[in-house]
Amino acid sequence: MNATQWRHRRLARGVLLSLQLLAAHRLRTALSVSGLLIGVAAVTVMVAIGAGAERRVLERVQGMGANLLVVSAAPAQRVAGRPRQIPVYTMLRAADAAAIEQESALAVAAAPAVNGSMVVRWEGVNTTTIVTGMTSAGLRIRNIVPASGRAFDDEDDRERRRVALIGPTVVRTLFGGADPVGRVVRIRNVPFEVIGVARARGVDPVGADLDDLVVLPFETATRRLLNIPYVHTLFVQARSISELVGLEREVREILSGRHAGRSGMLDAFVIQNQATLLRTEREAARAMNQLVVSVALLALLAGGIGILAVMLISVRERTREIGLRRALGAKRRDIQIQFVLESAMLAAAGGLAGVVVGLAVAAAAAMFGPWDLVISWHAAGLGLACSTILGLVVGAIPAVHAARLEPIAALRTE
Amino acid sequence: MIEVEDLTRTYRRAPLETQVLRGVTFRVRRGEFVVIMGRSGSGKSTLLNILGLLDQPNGGRYVLDGTDFSRAGDDERSAARNRKLGFVFQQFHLLERASALRNVTLPLLYAEQDPGDAAGRAEQALQAVGLAHRARHLPSELSGGEQQRVAIARALINDPAVILADEPTGNLDAQSGREILEIFRHLADAGRTLVLVTHDRSIAARADRILVLDAGRIVGQETVASHAAGAPPGAAGHL
Repeated sequence: MNATQWRHRRLARGVLLSLQLLAAHRLRTALSVSGLLIGVAAVTVMVAIGAGAERRVLERVQGMGANLLVVSAAPAQRVAGRPRQIPVYTMLRAADAAAIEQESALAVAAAPAVNGSMVVRWEGVNTTTIVTGMTSAGLRIRNIVPASGRAFDDEDDRERRRVALIGPTVVRTLFGGADPVGRVVRIRNVPFEVIGVARARGVDPVGADLDDLVVLPFETATRRLLNIPYVHTLFVQARSISELVGLEREVREILSGRHAGRSGMLDAFVIQNQATLLRTEREAARAMNQLVVSVALLALLAGGIGILAVMLISVRERTREIGLRRALGAKRRDIQIQFVLESAMLAAAGGLAGVVVGLAVAAAAAMFGPWDLVISWHAAGLGLACSTILGLVVGAIPAVHAARLEPIAALRTE
Repeated sequence: MIEVEDLTRTYRRAPLETQVLRGVTFRVRRGEFVVIMGRSGSGKSTLLNILGLLDQPNGGRYVLDGTDFSRAGDDERSAARNRKLGFVFQQFHLLERASALRNVTLPLLYAEQDPGDAAGRAEQALQAVGLAHRARHLPSELSGGEQQRVAIARALINDPAVILADEPTGNLDAQSGREILEIFRHLADAGRTLVLVTHDRSIAARADRILVLDAGRIVGQETVASHAAGAPPGAAGHL
């Protein structure tokens, strides 16, 4: 065995002996780490709650369709008078979607959509819901897939077939939950065959029910129901969320070019950027995270002070032991390392116990409670690492005290 | 083995200056059992601390086992304490929470070279002081005499050049004290070099040579006839 190997083994033996001595002081050891334990456990739970909230937001935003840009016709400026409906600019065209798809380098897909609030009826039951007309490409972009039955396809669209895909909320209100596939509903008195039920998507970040909808083929909606030449919305999809800002710029240019010369064009449409939406959500999440981090730091600080206090007491109590070790050949450095390691081990033990308790509480809460928690191994590992580093740092103070003791004086203390 | 020349040690604590050692000179041969006697305040503990490399002289020369430690740094002295010296204290100084065996292996923790089979060596050392059967006991489960024997085993484990003992029987009853003294006698007979500090005459009688210290100077020296250097080695040859 060479000298380096022996140094390592010597260190390992020292650690073993320290552990044995710490284990003998069960109560004190437990007390000294309890602060850190509680702190790390609390942080672990809070991180799980925060991660759960963030996941929920992300899921809902992504539920609208991934990497999405929504171009809407803007509400028209009201001329003095009394508008009975909210009028919108009428210059967006289905062809704009095709143009964006062709001309924009960043657009993966684009689809037009029309919509209106309409009364839908089945066997004497009425409900008012948003009826949307979109192409099958629009269904893909918006991530609308059938949970039962089928979605409409390009042929349905081309043939302007009277078929409808309906949301789970409409299924509940109109059919009381019974299977609606194959039934005929009337929308503005036009009969439509229900061919599928959309998969539930919950509510969007603003709180709107994403399942309260009826989707018709685009051509069917514009020609048979609305009889309008323009569209309300264009959905444009980017490859990734990071490209959304660039895509927005491109879309603006293309639309401005296509509609140049018309006065007020710049205000004629608004573009909702999913990245911006996510950023807002993330900012809220970041505020929460900052709170968690502050609490974590405070908890660690409190835990660290606890360990520092116990280690200082321990140095005082073990002055004779330190003197003895020095007499038996321990260098100042050996004593220093011993106390730093003991402190780090205490802190690591406290951190580990805290992580275990925290994960157990989070898991129990997720299993038995209504909370949406995400258990983060990353955060657990970080908590453990932070405690250990804290122990090393905090241990330096008593370690220096211990190493500074003169062996003769240390041996003489009672 | 030990050469001390004109050793001085002064403690300064303003405005006082206390001269504890005022020029001490003596030698200890290999295998010799020397007792340093003196009243309290005579400077014998300070002398032992310097011999034990726990304290440094202000002047003079101290050569241990061929190395001059008069001006040695802290790390060098620590390493030498581990390698060349064995300590036996009046208060035993055992780790309360560690078994006898663990206590005996403690110096190996600070050895600079791999000591090999630590537990085996500790068991051997315990056997040498007649405590092999108590290896797993905690100090609190041992009598005072037994605890001091564990301490002697601990002093022996690194095969030191010199064993230093400070009133090793001071905390023991007469019977245990005699037993401890016999162990020291056996060690000396087996060729160990021992320096023991005491104020007890009856202990001094078992040494080879007595140095009498007073007011920081050696004021007397006597050789104990029955144990004069060169006496036939005792039965404890395995030590």
